[in-house]
Amino acid sequence: MVERTYPLVQPIALVERAMAEDFEPQITAFYCIYCGYMAADTAGILHIQYPANVKFVRLPCTGKTDIRYILEAFEQGADGVYLVACPIGNCHHVRGNERGWARVKRAKKILDEIGLGGERLEMFFMSGSQGGAFAIAAQTMTERIRRMGPNPIRLSEVRAGRPDTETEKEDSEEVDFRGRRSKKSG
Amino acid sequence: MVIGGGIGGMRAALDLAEVGLKVYLVEQTPCLGGRVAQLGFMFPQHDCVLCRGTADHGYGCTRPSISPAYIQHNQHPNIEILTLTRVTDVAGQAGDFTVSLRQEPRYVEVSRCINCGYCAQVCPVELPDSYQRGLTLRKAAYKVAARATPDAYVIDYGPYCEGCGKCAEVCPTGAINLRDQPRLLTVEVGAIILALGFQVFNPKGLEELGFGRYVNVLEAMQYERLASRSGPTEGIIQRPSDHKKPRSILWLQCVGSRDQETPYCSSICCMFATKEAILAKQRLGKEVECTVFNMDERAFNKEYSRYFARARNEYGIRYVHCRLSGIYEDPQTKDLIVHYATPNGKKVSERFEMVVLATGLQPSAAARELTSILGIEQNEFGFCQTDKFVPLQTSRPGVFVCGAFSSPKEIAETILDASGAAAEVMRLLNDRLNVYRFSHEAPFLSSEDFPPERDISSEPVRVGVFTCTCAGTLCKTLDLKAITHQAASWEGVEIAQLLDLACFPHGLRQIQTTIQEQRLNRIVIGACSNRTHDSLFQKTVRAAGLNPYLLEVVNLQQQCSGVHLSQTDLANRKAREMLRMAVARVSLAKPVLKERHVCYPAALVIGGGVAGMTAALAIADSGYEVHLVERAEMLGGSLLNLYYVAEGYNPQRLLRDLVNRVLAHTRIQVYTRTEVARHRGHVGDFRSTLHTSLPDGRTISTEVRHGVTIIATGGREAHEHPWLRLPGVITQRQLEEMIIHEPQKVAVWKNVVMIQCVGTEGMAKYCSRVCCTNTMKNAIRLRLFNPGCQVTVLYRNIVTYGFRERYYTEARQRGVLFVRWLDELPPQVFYDEQRGRPIVRVRDLALDRWLEICADVVPLSVSVVPADGSAALARRLRLPLSSEGFFEEAQLKLRPMDFMREGIFLAGMAAYPKFLEESITHALAAAGRALTLLTQKSLYLGGVVAYVDPQKCVGCLTCTRICPFGIPQVIQPTEWLEMHSEHGDESSYANLPSRHQRMRAGVGGLGGAAFIDPAQCQGCGTCTGECPANAIQLTHYTDEQMMLRPIRGLGAWLSEPIH
Repeated sequence: MVERTYPLVQPIALVERAMAEDFEPQITAFYCIYCGYMAADTAGILHIQYPANVKFVRLPCTGKTDIRYILEAFEQGADGVYLVACPIGNCHHVRGNERGWARVKRAKKILDEIGLGGERLEMFFMSGSQGGAFAIAAQTMTERIRRMGPNPIRLSEVRAGRPDTETEKEDSEEVDFRGRRSKKSG
Repeated sequence: MVIGGGIGGMRAALDLAEVGLKVYLVEQTPCLGGRVAQLGFMFPQHDCVLCRGTADHGYGCTRPSISPAYIQHNQHPNIEILTLTRVTDVAGQAGDFTVSLRQEPRYVEVSRCINCGYCAQVCPVELPDSYQRGLTLRKAAYKVAARATPDAYVIDYGPYCEGCGKCAEVCPTGAINLRDQPRLLTVEVGAIILALGFQVFNPKGLEELGFGRYVNVLEAMQYERLASRSGPTEGIIQRPSDHKKPRSILWLQCVGSRDQETPYCSSICCMFATKEAILAKQRLGKEVECTVFNMDERAFNKEYSRYFARARNEYGIRYVHCRLSGIYEDPQTKDLIVHYATPNGKKVSERFEMVVLATGLQPSAAARELTSILGIEQNEFGFCQTDKFVPLQTSRPGVFVCGAFSSPKEIAETILDASGAAAEVMRLLNDRLNVYRFSHEAPFLSSEDFPPERDISSEPVRVGVFTCTCAGTLCKTLDLKAITHQAASWEGVEIAQLLDLACFPHGLRQIQTTIQEQRLNRIVIGACSNRTHDSLFQKTVRAAGLNPYLLEVVNLQQQCSGVHLSQTDLANRKAREMLRMAVARVSLAKPVLKERHVCYPAALVIGGGVAGMTAALAIADSGYEVHLVERAEMLGGSLLNLYYVAEGYNPQRLLRDLVNRVLAHTRIQVYTRTEVARHRGHVGDFRSTLHTSLPDGRTISTEVRHGVTIIATGGREAHEHPWLRLPGVITQRQLEEMIIHEPQKVAVWKNVVMIQCVGTEGMAKYCSRVCCTNTMKNAIRLRLFNPGCQVTVLYRNIVTYGFRERYYTEARQRGVLFVRWLDELPPQVFYDEQRGRPIVRVRDLALDRWLEICADVVPLSVSVVPADGSAALARRLRLPLSSEGFFEEAQLKLRPMDFMREGIFLAGMAAYPKFLEESITHALAAAGRALTLLTQKSLYLGGVVAYVDPQKCVGCLTCTRICPFGIPQVIQPTEWLEMHSEHGDESSYANLPSRHQRMRAGVGGLGGAAFIDPAQCQGCGTCTGECPANAIQLTHYTDEQMMLRPIRGLGAWLSEPIH
């Protein structure tokens, strides 16, 4: 594995614990436009309730999942990230969801290594008609993240008083990071 | 006109619409989809993947449709859907029918229904839900399924409805009119396709099985709903009596098939019971005991035999050959008790917690009524009468049939029938093709002419945000006014407006005027589901002169207001966040244009057997050139050796007829003794090199250009088995020849032993589908011809599916003996030198000992294997092969005649062993699909596809490995360019700007970089996520559009309050 230090993650201080008391998780979910989107749609049609702590990003297929996107979401401050894909074997693109799953597993390892915790990332497989399962996924993740507390990166940013900018410095490294390479010239 | 809106009807209507014919799709229920819409999974892959039904790209699941062309607002402009409609009269003749229709009132105006569901909430009437097979209740105001076509509610204004009018009061758009009246319509059509489907046998009549009396006896469709993810339990299988998970389930086969009343086989039950049993194992865990009581295992298609093997070995499903006399219920536990006999006569009784009756297929009652209106003939079983050599025509010219109304069929065959029937109609109406124009240029289907697109490349970003209250229904949860107000202040946003009903004509007009007045160049609409409304808004934006990709639709309805009713603050925060992301994303959007290609109006058909000739004729009759390539010296293929068929028709007559028509046809060019040496290009413009070997040993090379290719290379009998080297051991085909040419020899035989399922070495690995019926045919012939001859058939499973069951019955009636052997104990064949005759040894299961039979002749039913050279051809055309060595289609169920590579189609025995009528149907289907391309004046390819930056590509081959479709290729600069320069003068082709036509070279000047053909790319983006050099980007989903760095949109949320 490539050597690299991550200065970002520090233990959450007590003050911040207190702040986390009434903490509303901010979760990003990626879904594919086939079963993933459809499950969300079904939940909507059937008015199945789930926590509003998740915002959605669409992918043409979870095969499009890029480890960089997942890490980027965390770096921008997401407390949790999850993916919703078609059931294995039922991918519109034959096995895009399997590729996505492989990348999620790789990203989980990275998150573990840098101390964010692979638990903050998850992938769910469901059929388009499973509105209930979609709601449960949102529920599960929201509860899990609530338990785990806010994303330490976000907290450290709040502490350092830099809310929404200054990411350029790390960009050149992050862009090319895929869990097996760290740097690329140019 | 297509009658029947199930999967067959939808497929046929779509193919006809694609060739520019106007189609009326008539369905008597309130929505399309038919039986398939009720199925959760399809065997043998356990797919639902109706979304893979066509190559079109659509947003989300298209269930119960098979294509985005059936989604509301994107409906194919040439299809008019008439639901709740019946045919009352048909007058006229082929080419000119007048059809009278009666449309029952829906009481809900589809174009005004916004699917808010208020009517169902207030409706006081509860009825059993027929979509869920009575397992749950629905209201009288209801929607058949969550996603239905047409996408609207319906009022079931039957006698149980009190007409209280609450639904009409509560409807926010005034869409409900309870005083709606039936409409009588008359339409003029050129041809009619019947896709009437089937009805499931009602097992109530079979009292001994207890259906309807014992609560834990289900019929197969009910079980399908239980196991379906859209079913009442989201796919959790429960016992109806106590809602517990059953620990043992029994499937009972042949309920309503293969008995005295219904002497035919329903063809699909063996497979679906196995699927249901596997589903039970998957859902309930390995410990659930699954047992299937059957008579034979009929797994007669690609991969089906393997599926059975997996069910047995991997999942441990138990199959027992027996037939039950009755089921009894234990009144306390509601368990079910059955008594049965094992093959060697022992009596056993067993207890099961649930019993599923694998009910058969019947023609529907409405279908019988319609046949009398149309005046078409029915066969003895009530299905539509067809001719073996014209399997898709009814007895009335101009009326065609497809799907389960002609005989019990599975989905794949229904789809083949449907496309085939469409091809027959194209042939009949060939002068009217392409009259109704439409275009695939935009991401939506449209027949309209749009103003030229505005060039926005030099304009600064000017975003317009429109939010929709959906007649006030969204305001219950969301404070849209405040959100919209805030949105106006975001970067790039020029204007933010709140609309009442964005999707109604006045809303759309307002969006368009605002775009023009404010010169907006990016649009965000916060409204309804992307699945249904994307195309509508895309059309609106396009009509206002903007590229449809400069639009983002945010689903506030289904993703915010509907699902967060009690969390207003959080829901508002989420809605704002989603809109903010959409604004950022759309600001980065660039126009996406598809590449326009001309389809070269000619077809190449490889293989001159029955399938190849049929396909060639269908295409040529519709007005296009065909190059027909045959490797042998003469046309005919397997048909050359077929002298009679079970049904009694004369195949040699068919052969003569086909060959004469092909050779005489002015638009068909026949190349015999010819092989395809090279095949390149893409859909619409292939070029092939044909090598013809002359009798004197010379080879001529011909170059042909064609828009589509059809593979019809056929199959042959395997003749490698060592038994065939013994004297007296022959194949069934040789037997057929002897019966025809050497009757004097046949007349003296005393004993004939036929062995089924003989493979290339041992016993057959897969079912070759045709051999059992073939054996019946020859056995019956032998007994008729030489009644003194004892005929014994050694079999594993008798696969005489559909109406062919009657030949099995006839063979038994004529005294043919049948002896079953098991996989573990296959029969053995020796040659007895002394007697000079072959000896067959077989283990008799009933007697439980070995039998030895001395036969005059031993005909073997050998496997049908792909034609020689199939593998080489597959490599040349870059096509996949199945595990049996046959060509593999794009999708086994829904695209059985297409290849994943667009523009190449599959027909006949090249796909799998088939009967003549099936080969003809398959060929017609391939021809029909080919015609949908050939008739297009321009093909639009590309769009949202991946492209490689050759400067970054290092040629590592990762993408070639990762692509689920095998599209990327690392190639030298480039065959394509070569091709364009050679023929540059012939079409507008070379003038087309395409970044893919430039020379490519890898890093460091090394030749070769990955190339992704935009004509083939499916746009999934799998390669982009894996490319180590980050050299691949997916159009419309570029890294910057995904990461939204400027606003940190991927992770961060706005924190300030909304008010």
